Amino acid sequence: MGNLLRLAVVLAGKDLRLELRTRTSIVSAAVFAALVLIVFNFARDPTAVATIDLAPSVLWVTIAFASVLAMNRGFLVERENAAFDGLLLAPVPREALYLGKFLANFAFVVLVEAIALPLFVLFFNLDIAHALGGLVLTMLLATMGFVAVGTIFSAMVVKTRFAELMLPVLLLPFMVPPLILAVKTSVPLFSGRPLSEVVDGLRFLAIYDIVFITLALLLFPAVVDE
Amino acid sequence: MTAAASDARSVIVRGIVLTTLGLLGVAAVMVLALWFTPVEATQGPAQKIFYVHVPAAFTALWMAVPATAFAGLLYLWLHDPRLDRFAAASAEVSLVFCLVVLVTGPIWARPIWGAWWTWDGRLTLTLFLFFLLLGYQTMRAAIRDPVERARFSAVLGAMGLVLVPFIHLSVYLWRGLHPKPIVLKPSDPSLPPEMLHTLLYGIGAAVILYVGLVTLAYGIQLAQDLREAADAR
Amino acid sequence: MPDNSGFLYAAYVVAGVIYLGYTISLLLRARRR
Repeated sequence: MGNLLRLAVVLAGKDLRLELRTRTSIVSAAVFAALVLIVFNFARDPTAVATIDLAPSVLWVTIAFASVLAMNRGFLVERENAAFDGLLLAPVPREALYLGKFLANFAFVVLVEAIALPLFVLFFNLDIAHALGGLVLTMLLATMGFVAVGTIFSAMVVKTRFAELMLPVLLLPFMVPPLILAVKTSVPLFSGRPLSEVVDGLRFLAIYDIVFITLALLLFPAVVDE
Repeated sequence: MTAAASDARSVIVRGIVLTTLGLLGVAAVMVLALWFTPVEATQGPAQKIFYVHVPAAFTALWMAVPATAFAGLLYLWLHDPRLDRFAAASAEVSLVFCLVVLVTGPIWARPIWGAWWTWDGRLTLTLFLFFLLLGYQTMRAAIRDPVERARFSAVLGAMGLVLVPFIHLSVYLWRGLHPKPIVLKPSDPSLPPEMLHTLLYGIGAAVILYVGLVTLAYGIQLAQDLREAADAR
Repeated sequence: MPDNSGFLYAAYVVAGVIYLGYTISLLLRARRR
């Protein structure tokens, strides 16, 4: 088990190093998130709907779309250089491959969120310092859910035509439960309710994450092996 | 015609027969509902949409979708192409039944609740099922290698099956703890006998139609696969 | 009792069209082979 994790971290590290060297995907996803936030700002009428009511939805729609964008790069890098076959030939357990990709994608999306959240606070003039802890926890748990399914799907769609379109089409239904739970958790937090009140939502998020990470680990070999 | 091709032909014929029976059954239930089943006092005649809407929903949710998912899982274990062929056929028919649910639902909702779409828990779940199945079809169309297509479909099917209870839970959570009451529940024992009977006939007809359509779709795919295999030689 | 039988007929017709339409599309697919 520890070996698996260590392998996964190594694989993830390779991915992240590659990404940080070129920085194109991170920059695109971050710019996208910023643009979405800006568009939302102009698309609403502040006199009609209070910012605080709209805020959780705006935040989570932005995060959801930016996550899909960020995960699109998924297995593209390997596929382009036929490096994936090399990885498969090496005596690497498939679970480690999945976990490695999962960790890389997760780190990547969290990085985009780390850029989006301050922008969100800035653009919408929100005072959510009190809710920050709970919000960050919610973001981490929901992101795990998005990435758990997104990682295995991106391995599947990378070989299809229209891969960039196929991923959101397949992924969005799976993003809905964590999305709903994340919004349900964020709303009371934004209104100043204590963390103890949203523990149920967080628990469901964690359950979703555990179930789908396990399922993806079980099914991943079927996706990459002949 | 080779022996295999005539097997495919007989499957198609069987499918046509069952489908015709199913279609006649659905029509018969409509006639039964229109002329013989009593009208519900508060909802009026529109309530009878129930006898088409509920059987379609039941068949899609409890037969067609699980069949696709479990056939896929079995395929992952046994690698038998027949299982994938069946899963694909069932998925396609599920899509059609989901469409019937999603169209008759709003037509029923409009006169009763005053709005076409109310994000009712069950309809919303069916909507998601519809998109999952659509994604399934789209993905299958984009993969050329039949073995890879079968494997990926099985994976998607399995994940979709696990997703369904989560969607159900989160949609009900989202709508709050007081979901809109649905006036008549199929499992409601206080349904008067004539209505219950019509409903059961409706479910029976829908199931026969499902089996017929899946058989037909399976047979057609089988014939195509055989022809492609013959062409390859 | 409300008079909404229009909706009832519409729903039945549409359902029938969907079922029948799909069946015919399958038959056409079989015929084409």
